[in-house]
Amino acid sequence: MTGTDYAVLLLRLAAPLQSWGGPSRYNRRETRPQPTKSGVLGLLAAAEGRDRAASIADLVGLRLGVRVDQPGSLLRDYHTYSDYRGVPLLSAKTNAKGQQTRTTPAKYTGVTQRFYLQDAVFVVALRGPKPLVAGLEKAVRHPVHPLSLGRRSCPPTGPVSLGLRPDTGLEEALKEVPWKAGEHRRRQVRDATVSLEATVEDPAGDHLAVDVPDTYDLKTGTTFGRRAVRHLWVTVPTGHAEPPQSAQDTGPTGQSGHDPFALLGW
Amino acid sequence: MPYLSKITLNPRRRAAVSLLANPHRLHAAVLNGLAVQPVTERVLWRLENNRPHQAEVLVLTESRPSWAQLVEDAGWPGADGGDPLIADYTPLLDRLAHGREFGFRLTANPVHNVLAPARPSEQQAARLKEGADKGGRPRGFRLAHRTVAQQIGWLLQRCERHGFTIPDATATPPAPGLREPAADDREPSPGPAVAVVGRDILRFSKRKDGPRVTLSTATFEGRLRVTDPDALRACLLGGIGPAKGYGQGLLTLAPLRTTEEVTHG
Repeated sequence: MTGTDYAVLLLRLAAPLQSWGGPSRYNRRETRPQPTKSGVLGLLAAAEGRDRAASIADLVGLRLGVRVDQPGSLLRDYHTYSDYRGVPLLSAKTNAKGQQTRTTPAKYTGVTQRFYLQDAVFVVALRGPKPLVAGLEKAVRHPVHPLSLGRRSCPPTGPVSLGLRPDTGLEEALKEVPWKAGEHRRRQVRDATVSLEATVEDPAGDHLAVDVPDTYDLKTGTTFGRRAVRHLWVTVPTGHAEPPQSAQDTGPTGQSGHDPFALLGW
Repeated sequence: MPYLSKITLNPRRRAAVSLLANPHRLHAAVLNGLAVQPVTERVLWRLENNRPHQAEVLVLTESRPSWAQLVEDAGWPGADGGDPLIADYTPLLDRLAHGREFGFRLTANPVHNVLAPARPSEQQAARLKEGADKGGRPRGFRLAHRTVAQQIGWLLQRCERHGFTIPDATATPPAPGLREPAADDREPSPGPAVAVVGRDILRFSKRKDGPRVTLSTATFEGRLRVTDPDALRACLLGGIGPAKGYGQGLLTLAPLRTTEEVTHG
C-alpha cells in the first residue's frame, strides 16, 4: 500500500468529567491520565452504532496518538450503594437452585470509588486506511449512540471531530493542531508557546500501554492487549504575541528568569 | 579565581534521577568535578528548576572545574544546549560598589538555636536529660524556621553582617478616591523587596541505613543594595547559613528586572 491510502482523523476530547479506565477490578475504578485506546475505539464504535458483540478488528488496527492540551485534575467519587428494602446485599455465592444468596454476616452497604479527570482537554489523532477513517469521521459527526468520554456519565463538550488530514505521521499531525485548551488555561499562560505532553503509538517505542481491547462483548468481558508507545513533548504556539524580552521572565510557576551569568560578561 | 558554572541534567536518565533524589550524592558528584583532591576549598552549589524537563545545577568553585564526567553520566553529552557553562566570577566581584542594587536569589536553610524546645521530641528530651544529669550548660538545639515570616526574618536579620540591605519594595499608591482616607493617613508600608518563592523539606540519608538528614529550605528572591562590598564579596564566595554541602546558601546576583512596572493585561 502506498501512503496515500491512509489518512489521519483528529478528535478533540474535552468535558467537565472524563474517565479512562484501563484494566481495573471490583470496586475501585481508576482513570488513566490520558485517553486509552479502548476508550477511544469504544467511542468510535458507539458513533458507528456497532453492536457490543460486533467485531472491532478493523478499529484495533488504527494507530493512536494523544496530546494533552490541558491535563486536568483528579476527582474521586466516593460512592455507596445499598438495597432500598433494607435487606442485606447479594453475595457472590449461589444456593442449590442457582440463586444468589444474601451476604452472611449481613452487609448492607457497599462502597465503590470512581475516579474522574476534571476539566481536561485532549487532542487525539488516529491514523488508518482512508475509507475507514473517513467513515469514522462522518459517524462521529452523526453518531448513532450518544458519545461519551470513557464513561456513560461523561458527555463531551463541543464538537468531537476536528476533521480529517491527509496522511502524515501521528507526531506531525499532533504538532500541526492548534492549542485546544480552555479559556481559563489560556489566560494563565503568557508565553508564546507551550510544551505539551504527547503519547504516540510506535512499534519502536520504549513504553508499553495495556489498553488494546479484543471485544466489547459483555458476555465474555474485555481482555486488554499491549501496544508499544512513545512519549514526547510537542511545542505549540499559544496565539499570544511574543512577550517583550524583558517581560519574558515571569513564568506561571513564579520562577523568574534569574540569570546569574548576565553580570559575568557571558 | 572563582568560577561559576551551570550544568544541565537530564531528569529522564537514571543517574540524574539518583543525583536529584539525594543532595548527598549530588554534592559528591559536584566535588568530583574538581581536579585537586581532596577538595579543601569552599564549593557552593544550588539546584534550579527554571525550565520544565530540565534541572540545572549552579556551582561556584575557586578553581576551574570540569563537568565532562557529570554531563556524560547524567546530562545531554554532545547535544546543543547540553554543554555546561563555565564563567569567570571576578567581573561580578569587581563590580560590587557601595549603593549598587542587584536582583538576588538564595536557597538557604534558615535555622535558629534553641536552648530548651517547648515540646521536645524523644531524642531531644533524652539529650536534655543527659545534659541535666551531667550538670553544666547543655548544648542548644538547631531547629529549622518553618514559616515564611520566620524565614524572611532570618534573612533580614543577617543581611547587614553580610554587607547588603534589602530595600523596601516599590508600591504603587492607589488611585485617588480608591482608598478611604480617614482610616489611616500614612501610606501602607510595602515591606522589604524579598519574597519566598519556594519552600521544601529535604529528607534523605547519607548511606543505606545511615542517619536521616532533614532540612527545611526556603528560596528567596528579591532586590538587595550593597552596603559593604568586601563583606558581600566574602558572602558570595562563602555562602549564607548552614547545610552548604547540601546545596544551600549560594547567593547569586543578577541584573535588576525592570519589568516590575509592566502590567500584564
